[in-house]
Amino acid sequence: MCNFLWLASTEGIGSYAPVLIQLLIAGAVVSLLMLLTHILGPKRKTKDKLINFESGIEQIGNARKPMGVKYFIVAILFVLFDVEVIFFYPYAVNFRELGTEGFLAVLMFVALFVCGFVYVIKKGALKWED
Amino acid sequence: MKPLIATAVFAILMMFAALTVKEKKSFTHFAAILMLGLVGLNVWELADYNRLLASAQASPDLFGKMLRVDNYALWFNVLMSSCSFFYILLVGRSIEKVGVHVGEYYALHFFILCGVFLLSTYNNLLILFLGIEILSIPQYILSGSDKRNLKSSEASLKYFLMGAFSTGILLMGIVLLYGAMGTFDIHGFNFYATGTLNIMGVVGVLFMLVALGFKVSAAPMHFWTPDVYDGSPTPFTAFMATIVKVSVFFAFMRLFMEGFANLDPYWKVTVLGTITVLTLLIGNITAVYQQSVKRMLAYSSIAQAGFMMFVVIGSNAMAMKGMIIYAVAYTLATVGIFGVLLKLKDYTYDGFNGLAKKHPFLALIASICLMSLAGIPLTAGFFAKWFVIAAALEQPGTFWLVIFALVMAAVSLYYYFKVIMAMYFKTGEPELITPVTTMDKVVMAIIGSAVIVFGIAPDMLLAWI
Amino acid sequence: MTQLVYLVPLFPLIGFLLNGLFWKSMPKKLAGIIGSTAILASFAVSLGIFFEVKNGAAAGQGIVHLFDFITVGNFKIPFAFMVDQLSAMFLLIITGIGFLIHLYSTSYMHDDEGFTKYFAYLNLFVFFMLLLVLGANYVVMFIGWEGVGLASYLLIGFWYKNKEYTNASKKAFVMNRIGDLGFLIGMMLTVYHFGTLSYNDFFAQLQGGIGAQTQNGYMIGSGMTNAIAICFFIGAMGKSAQIPLYTWLPDAMAGPTPVSALIHAATMVTAGIYMIARSNALFNLAPMAQNMIAIIGLATVLLAASIALKQNDIKKVLAYSTVSQLGYMFLALGVGAYVGSLFHVMTHAFFKALLFLGSGSVIHAMSGEQDMRKMGGLGKYMPITKFTFLIGCLAISGFPFFSGFFSKDEILAAAYAKNPMFYYLGLLGAMMTTFYMFRAYFYTFTGNFRGTEEQKHHVHESPATMTIPLIILAILSLVGGLVGLPEVFSHHHLLNEYLSPVVQNFDIHHLDHTMELTLMGIASAIVLIMMYVARVITRKEQFGEAKGLAKVLENKWYVDEIYDFLIVRPLAWKARILNNIVEQKGIDGGVNGLGQLVQWGSTRLKNLQSGQVGSYLFAMVIGIIIIFAIGIFGLLYM
Repeated sequence: MCNFLWLASTEGIGSYAPVLIQLLIAGAVVSLLMLLTHILGPKRKTKDKLINFESGIEQIGNARKPMGVKYFIVAILFVLFDVEVIFFYPYAVNFRELGTEGFLAVLMFVALFVCGFVYVIKKGALKWED
Repeated sequence: MKPLIATAVFAILMMFAALTVKEKKSFTHFAAILMLGLVGLNVWELADYNRLLASAQASPDLFGKMLRVDNYALWFNVLMSSCSFFYILLVGRSIEKVGVHVGEYYALHFFILCGVFLLSTYNNLLILFLGIEILSIPQYILSGSDKRNLKSSEASLKYFLMGAFSTGILLMGIVLLYGAMGTFDIHGFNFYATGTLNIMGVVGVLFMLVALGFKVSAAPMHFWTPDVYDGSPTPFTAFMATIVKVSVFFAFMRLFMEGFANLDPYWKVTVLGTITVLTLLIGNITAVYQQSVKRMLAYSSIAQAGFMMFVVIGSNAMAMKGMIIYAVAYTLATVGIFGVLLKLKDYTYDGFNGLAKKHPFLALIASICLMSLAGIPLTAGFFAKWFVIAAALEQPGTFWLVIFALVMAAVSLYYYFKVIMAMYFKTGEPELITPVTTMDKVVMAIIGSAVIVFGIAPDMLLAWI
Repeated sequence: MTQLVYLVPLFPLIGFLLNGLFWKSMPKKLAGIIGSTAILASFAVSLGIFFEVKNGAAAGQGIVHLFDFITVGNFKIPFAFMVDQLSAMFLLIITGIGFLIHLYSTSYMHDDEGFTKYFAYLNLFVFFMLLLVLGANYVVMFIGWEGVGLASYLLIGFWYKNKEYTNASKKAFVMNRIGDLGFLIGMMLTVYHFGTLSYNDFFAQLQGGIGAQTQNGYMIGSGMTNAIAICFFIGAMGKSAQIPLYTWLPDAMAGPTPVSALIHAATMVTAGIYMIARSNALFNLAPMAQNMIAIIGLATVLLAASIALKQNDIKKVLAYSTVSQLGYMFLALGVGAYVGSLFHVMTHAFFKALLFLGSGSVIHAMSGEQDMRKMGGLGKYMPITKFTFLIGCLAISGFPFFSGFFSKDEILAAAYAKNPMFYYLGLLGAMMTTFYMFRAYFYTFTGNFRGTEEQKHHVHESPATMTIPLIILAILSLVGGLVGLPEVFSHHHLLNEYLSPVVQNFDIHHLDHTMELTLMGIASAIVLIMMYVARVITRKEQFGEAKGLAKVLENKWYVDEIYDFLIVRPLAWKARILNNIVEQKGIDGGVNGLGQLVQWGSTRLKNLQSGQVGSYLFAMVIGIIIIFAIGIFGLLYM
């Protein structure tokens, strides 16, 4: 099968030839464009140009400063618990069919869930004020 | 699966211990005890399985065919948990120094082990995915656990970004395989079900290959490795470079041996061989130029991954033996050398100057471990390399691959022996940051002698397969 | 008892570890007790094993499997011991004589600062020697083989502060390595052709004889068997000091005298004989190698004996005598008289150990003086030493009814049956033996004292711990020959019957009784004549400058100088050329070039690791695309 006819065949591996061609072209275009931007783009490396842009105001100090992430943590925790709670919907729908075994499984799920909750509270992740 | 459940329970226990216990030292003790319990549970599981096997009651399938156990996988779990135990004994003191959340660090280790056990027994691509994720996410956190250190945060972020990228690829592979085969069960794959080759399945295989290659840091998916291993707190690097990596290789090998068995061997050798050659080349050659021993070890772990690729190429009975021996030899030696490294203040080669004069015991253990990594006879590393190469040679067209690997092994002598040279033939005043305790000495002696004993009688490791 | 065989090497090993690890804090007395007791315990177990083997309890396959040493695919090398008549006999010799010599050493080495170290080494030697004879395959034998080489090296250079002594130890080591290489090549050839190194397996395959098929599918040919046998013999040459590798043994006398007795007379140097006797199935199929062994053995007998004629150092005389006696053993092996050879190993162990210990006793009394020209008339002061030394001399000369008489007679008779020329030359060697031994005896123990006044004052009989071993060995030298009475006297050749399951004489014609008695008569007459000649010559006590042949003999036929001229200097010259031109320009250039290439590649590859996640991902994606391209392209060939 090692000849160029496979490109024209419509079954077996030949049928994927267009995909391969497209893949190659895509790759080529991407790398070509990236290369071109590098080569063609004008480069003027002055000090002012390389400086971090801060609304035209001269920058002050280091950007790496510790800052409060309270809101971030709360948001993440919300997503976590939210997603976990979503599991109750399918359970509620199938409540009768799943019977006792299903109930115990969900109980275990809730227990683990509570473990996480207790941990989070004990860690003080939900305390807004320091 | 008692140990699997135990890992999750132990991890939660550690987390809650972290809420109440203030004394850092007690976490290490607690973790060591739990780990010992885990080893015991694994041994129990193995014995139990064999007892049931003798009375023909044992069933390999668990949880609705999601997991599949056998002697081989259970024995691997025993070995990995034992290695973790020694790891905790050796580096526990250093873990306490990383940051304030010591209990959580240990909890994350237990979660990782949960992933390890899933990976060694999975029978289903979903469990493979779950295992990989359970294994990876704690690593993202561990690598960033030294929060005040910029390099650590950088490592964590890099690892997370690139890990997420590879997770996407892994999922894509699983999806393609499911689409092509109609099943997640790795024993249900048949690439010639319709008589002709299932191309979509093969593309899925390539995606899986890339994603798993990323996790084991095979080139060209290795770029994260040096930065992450170098940036992470050293004790966690030791864990990530050994037990985690080896376990993913275990899953990797099982996937190719059991799942993709009926793919053409020439094709497998071609594709896997390309990755192997690149990995060996980049790992070994780049390691030569490193100034820091820690970073050199990161590259060395890439180079070792190149050798472990041979078990995936082999995917036969010999490779199974090689996997076990390589796993233990590599893990012990790497943990041993990291144990020594952790004692030192200066991680550069110069930091090792004159170590043999001042701390002959440390230098001796480091030399044994380095020689094992280099594959010098009479150390476990020699038989590890020997077995994996023998396994690969059973496949067609691997001869030149093996020759190349041997040349690269010769290159590796350079950077391993550079450390030994520094320790024995150079003069200097190496500074220790923590004193060497009796416990350290005992564990190091156990590791050193195990490396030599397994180098003389590697069959001891194959008792259960 | 057979199952407990592992205890035999274990005791000396424990002794070695105790003495070796705690040598700093160990009191001398305790070190001696530990060292000697370990060997005594081994001897006790060996005795048990011997009686069991003798009664046939362990007859057949007495293999004690300890653990799998090396497993490589289908090729297995177990760490196993072979307990049979042959190894049991060697066990007795090694542990029995070993114990006596340990006991002797406790006094002999008493004032040495390295006392504990000495016992550690000595125990180490016994451990390896036991491994050598107990191994059930050539690998275990080789471990022991190398181990005794190491122990011998350590003990020859025991007084390492003397440069000459350390040179002697290095010489012994290097000479042995040359032989070991032959042994190793022989082992590799065996594995290649036969796929095994276990005795039982190997010999079973040889059972088919020339033309049979081996396990690896080769046909056994005489070329193959001769090649392997000659390689093995080269190994034996090194260890058992045969031409051309014998020169290390006389130099090895640098070590303490009990060491010379144990290692360089009684046990280690007979390892080569053990190896060939053990491999008799192979050598029986290799007639060319056998002829070579006989001729080299005989040449060694004559060369060494002639050198011994003019030596003045008492230990040098004994050393050359050892080389010469080893030559007899090889002569016996070469003509197929395996039992005769082993018989001589045993009797030689008795009387040579006796002679060495006797000389040690003399040296001890003379405060370290070894030159016979400075001795004389010592018999008056040390009667026990004198008497036992005399017994040793009589035994080695083959004086009728002493042990050496029977064993040497058996060898010479077998040599006569093969080729009368062998016999005549062997007899010539025996003549010289008698002469130089009695020359040594008369110079040392009779006549006038020629040493200094101070020495004369100091001369004394040795303590009981030294004389008791002498007496025991003297008794053994007297009666040891009774186990192998020739056919003329008895129909039961005990040793022959004992060894027959393992080793049997090969292709030996039995002489008729008249002939045998005639040969014995000739030999005995020659011994008596030579004793008289020695008496007459030594009475003159002239030690002038030697001339002519005597000078050549005194300088050991200039063999060391010839080796130096023929081998060492050309090698050194070639080494210089290789070092200056090939090594520095060619190899170093190549290696350094490779190293530079690697480093250059390393700097290039290092640049790939820029630290930017974006570039990582970009490089990774390109790599993935290449993998996909290879994977998809590879499909075309599926």
